[in-house]
Amino acid sequence: MAGQSRFRPFAGAGLRARITMTFGMGALLVSLLLVGTTAVLIRRNLLDQREQVVAERVSVNAGLVADKIGRPEVDAQTLFGSLATAGKPSVLVWDTDSGEYLPFSVDTRLGATSLPKALTRRVLRERRSSVMRYEQRGEVLLAVGVPISGQDGGYFEVNQLADIDRSLSNLTIPLFAAVAITTGIGAALGWYASKRVLRPLADISEVATDIAEGRLDARLAYSEWADDPDLAPIVASFNGMVSEMQARIDRDARFASDVSHELRSPLTTFNASVEVLRNARDDLPERAQLALDLLGSDLERFTQLVEDLLEISRFDAGAVRLEIDDVAIVETVRMAVHTLSPTPIPVEADPELEGLIILCDKRRLVRVLANFLDNAAKYADGATRVLVEHATTAHDDGDEPGERTVRIIVEDAGPGVVEAEREKIFDRFNRGGQGGSRGRDLGVGLGLALAAEHARLQGGSVWVEGRSDGASGSWFVLELPVVEASEPSEGEVFLDEVTAEHMALQIPAEEGTAS
Amino acid sequence: MGTRILSVEDDERIRTAVKLALEDEGWTVEEATDGESAIAAWSRTPADVVLIDIMLPGIDGFEVCRQIRRQSDVPIIMVTARADTHDVVAGLEAGADDYLTKPFAPKELSARIRALLRRTRSVEPGTPRMTFGDLEIIPQEGVVTMSGTDLHLTKTEFRLLIELASSPGRVFSREALLERVWGHGYFGDGRLVDVHIRRLRTKVEQDPANPRHVVTVRGLGYKLQQ
Repeated sequence: MAGQSRFRPFAGAGLRARITMTFGMGALLVSLLLVGTTAVLIRRNLLDQREQVVAERVSVNAGLVADKIGRPEVDAQTLFGSLATAGKPSVLVWDTDSGEYLPFSVDTRLGATSLPKALTRRVLRERRSSVMRYEQRGEVLLAVGVPISGQDGGYFEVNQLADIDRSLSNLTIPLFAAVAITTGIGAALGWYASKRVLRPLADISEVATDIAEGRLDARLAYSEWADDPDLAPIVASFNGMVSEMQARIDRDARFASDVSHELRSPLTTFNASVEVLRNARDDLPERAQLALDLLGSDLERFTQLVEDLLEISRFDAGAVRLEIDDVAIVETVRMAVHTLSPTPIPVEADPELEGLIILCDKRRLVRVLANFLDNAAKYADGATRVLVEHATTAHDDGDEPGERTVRIIVEDAGPGVVEAEREKIFDRFNRGGQGGSRGRDLGVGLGLALAAEHARLQGGSVWVEGRSDGASGSWFVLELPVVEASEPSEGEVFLDEVTAEHMALQIPAEEGTAS
Repeated sequence: MGTRILSVEDDERIRTAVKLALEDEGWTVEEATDGESAIAAWSRTPADVVLIDIMLPGIDGFEVCRQIRRQSDVPIIMVTARADTHDVVAGLEAGADDYLTKPFAPKELSARIRALLRRTRSVEPGTPRMTFGDLEIIPQEGVVTMSGTDLHLTKTEFRLLIELASSPGRVFSREALLERVWGHGYFGDGRLVDVHIRRLRTKVEQDPANPRHVVTVRGLGYKLQQ
């Protein structure tokens, strides 16, 4: 894939940091290049200027020297002392007696004898004024030579150039400061530019969060980006996608609502009519009575199936709403078990939990419990006891203390659920080992799937396990997080405090807009 | 003359089937197909119980309920095809005493009707009058007064208050109240109690937002105090 081979500098850092670093690096490279070029140009310029100045002065000095050279009363000291020079002057004059050039100089180290041969040859033999830059003992020197008119000799000056390098090195600090400042400005520009680049991304992320939380009418403000040719299409297509999604969800909800209405209405008629027939059952012939019984029991089952299907489709459509309330957990379980079960079932609660009030959806809690009890009654000759226990979920990552939970456990003494089936029985239309065999009044296999949804919706879970005492039977467990009821805070609404405004906020999302 | 039930339902098949089932219980059923004719029928001959489907053409079930409630404290049962909070609470707010979700078992409907018919203002003879601050309950006469003025409570509100007053200071869970007032023999819908408590408060409390008599015990239920 193209994306994998793409060059990504500073991979691992955030997008914004990467953009900033790239801008900073760019600014650094450009300013270094500029500073380097500037330094080289300045140096060359300074040297050229110096050469010119020196050359002019040397030709003047050579004229002065030409007049005085050769006079016996003039020694090198006085000769050179009268000259206006910043360099080290020296003279080479042809001596016919010895047949060689005699050097006159004050500073022997930078005097005529140390001059490069190429320079002396050009001046003395070829009789040409010359300038030469050379290095001696690590020092850059500028030597200028002029032939002395009327004599076989030449006047030379050696100039030290260290001052030029000194001024250049003085320039270094401000130049590198400029590099640093430019780099900083570049990075700041990158930071600013990345902010502009990332703003639409931040907006998109915000809107996506809103949508995920169910506010499907959230959109990016197109008008803000409309005049940006790069971003406008992205914003438009994002909004388009969300609208399309919303339309689809609305369509699904409307369909579910229509289906719901279309199914509920005839079922109401069926139920009432079958009841009328039942009331007159004794007047019917025996065969008709049998048919009526079949009709009656299957109608009950079908009604339950429709209720469950409608409920589970509301879960699928995301159209369910929690009704969080203060729930005295032990008390509620006791009361529910007492009310739901025709035969008394003991409820054993952890004494620590007595009086604990948690926030949860009581109706859903009771639905799950009812389903477990119902399940036990159908498959295991009824529940043997109900336990309310305190637990702490284990955290995968180390020392962090787990979440406090309560477990409501419905115990039975039935055949139990084999290991392989324990997860599957919470799937839709799966009835454990008996899947497929459709005995009388055995439900339709949506109950446990619904129980799982009811639990999941409020942050809990359901599962089945073997009895801890090793006896035959199962533990059906509902685990709910302990969210302790505190003083009502903002956003928390208790059912007995539902106000008219709050009701207006609760859009009938459950079944859309049936009419 | 027997018990008369006014059934307001626009679906002819449901209406007929329900009528047949209710007639089997020995009740007389009068039918109305929409809101206007329901109100007209009610004005002609008041019934003992009114059954209203929420989704009606024209005037909806909520409005029919409100209009009848304005004239009378007759027991009203709302029938809805939607079990969500909005419809249920709105129906109860409009003045309904109870509600049923389609598809309902006719046995359930007749049980609810019977419970409503039993819910009268009569109390055991000899129940003394009770005072809770400015609130006075005279059970024998079915009268509740606040600072000497008569309060118009529906039968359900009256029964709810009497139940709470039977043991002042004791906390009644929603389930206990559902069983005692509504006669629901199963784990019923707490919203029924919550909405009626709220309606009761608007009548018996000086400041319904900060109730002094009918107070909530968080996580447990309600109690009546001085």
